[in-house]
Amino acid sequence: MNGAYRDALERVSRVPGVRGALVVLADDGVPVVEELQSDVSGAAIAALAAALFRRTGLAAGSADFGALETLQLEADGGQVLIGGAGELIVVALISDDAQIGRARVEVVRAAQSLRAGPALS
Amino acid sequence: MKTPAPTDLQRWSEELARNPASLAFLPLARAYRRLGRRDLAVQLCTRGMEHHPTHVEAHALLALLHFESGDRTKAADEWATVLRLKPGNFEALRGMGFRYLEQGEIAKARNHLERASLIRPEDTTVQEALRLIRQREMAIGKAPPAPATASAAESAEASLPAKPDAPVEAAVRAQAGEPPSHPAPKPEAPEPRVHRSPAEAAQRVVSGSRFMPAGAAPQPARPAPQQWAGDPTLPADPARLFEEMASSGPLLGILLLDRRGLVLAGALRHGGDGASEELGALISAAIEEAVRTNEHLRLGGWKTLTLECAGAAMQVAPVGDSAMVVVAARRGAPMGWVARSAYHAVGIAERFMEAYA
Repeated sequence: MNGAYRDALERVSRVPGVRGALVVLADDGVPVVEELQSDVSGAAIAALAAALFRRTGLAAGSADFGALETLQLEADGGQVLIGGAGELIVVALISDDAQIGRARVEVVRAAQSLRAGPALS
Repeated sequence: MKTPAPTDLQRWSEELARNPASLAFLPLARAYRRLGRRDLAVQLCTRGMEHHPTHVEAHALLALLHFESGDRTKAADEWATVLRLKPGNFEALRGMGFRYLEQGEIAKARNHLERASLIRPEDTTVQEALRLIRQREMAIGKAPPAPATASAAESAEASLPAKPDAPVEAAVRAQAGEPPSHPAPKPEAPEPRVHRSPAEAAQRVVSGSRFMPAGAAPQPARPAPQQWAGDPTLPADPARLFEEMASSGPLLGILLLDRRGLVLAGALRHGGDGASEELGALISAAIEEAVRTNEHLRLGGWKTLTLECAGAAMQVAPVGDSAMVVVAARRGAPMGWVARSAYHAVGIAERFMEAYA
């Protein structure tokens, strides 16, 4: 199954300006697979991204906006993109000069492909 | 004032006996207050707040109880707590406004009363007090308007009643749904040391002997303002701050939140009562998480948080260091358009915050 995850991540990682990508267990914040530059800690990003996605999803649910599908956090020094895929989330770290539109499309595609794939358990 | 039914008292008491953390303390305290048992009501509130320290209504009730007991300092403390928990609480804004007015802190009084006026423009006690304060400021022309100067304080002090219960009483009693304890004053027969209404208190503060130039004629009454004096282009009702933007098209609503997630202005067309408050609180928590994420990844300050959900799209953007706007649109709205809407909303919010300050 990891092969499918790696394929999904590779498409994201190939986008210029993407510093790394991970597939993470949404509830636990544990990385399943990751492709990251060496200066980035996968475990920490996984935990933070999962917590951010969970909290934001709660907010969306409270307003009756339905399940959270994608989250984009834009900051002065880059962006974090997260796509929801059921039990999993796809996380991408993106630098300022990245092709953000393309990265976004690839994160959404990766999330869709994981959602359509076999369940983790 | 409705007398509480004995069966209700019994039911609430039993519920509290079973579960000391129950919210039944609140109706029970209200009931005891109506029965004239303020001591019991205060005890119930105090104990209830051990379990619910941030319960706004409990603090507001305690403020009222302290006020009625003549302890204005404690009442003001509770109103201040209410305002920390819910900056837009009308009763607390009005209570603090008149408290400051009593103390001669005119600028603070005006600030609180203007905020109260934004929430309930139809409240005549607040409007009258504001009208008189502004009238006085207009009358003094180029003099600095309304800071709590020594002369203002002296003037206020000189005009304050010897009787401690007077100036705020009418407004607070009105808040509690009670008739004023004094009959309405006859303008032609004023009683110099007793204020019968907040409006009169305001009149006395602003027209005190050292504050009103001799011969200055009172200004004619003006209708209640439809726009806020702080910025006439902003609507009086903060819930309608973004109405022009959000009333058509795919927008579901726009909220202005403070950093704690409390709604300062705006509204959601989507969801029922309390949806805005709940969304605000949760978005604020999400932003805290976002800030932590950014710090860890050394990404710097956050600029926007954009969400696509099954039924809606949202963008959250900061307004200075202390607030944020949440723009919600129907799913399918172009994200670039949502981003532009958020940009415009931030501009409006900045003006609101500036005028608010």
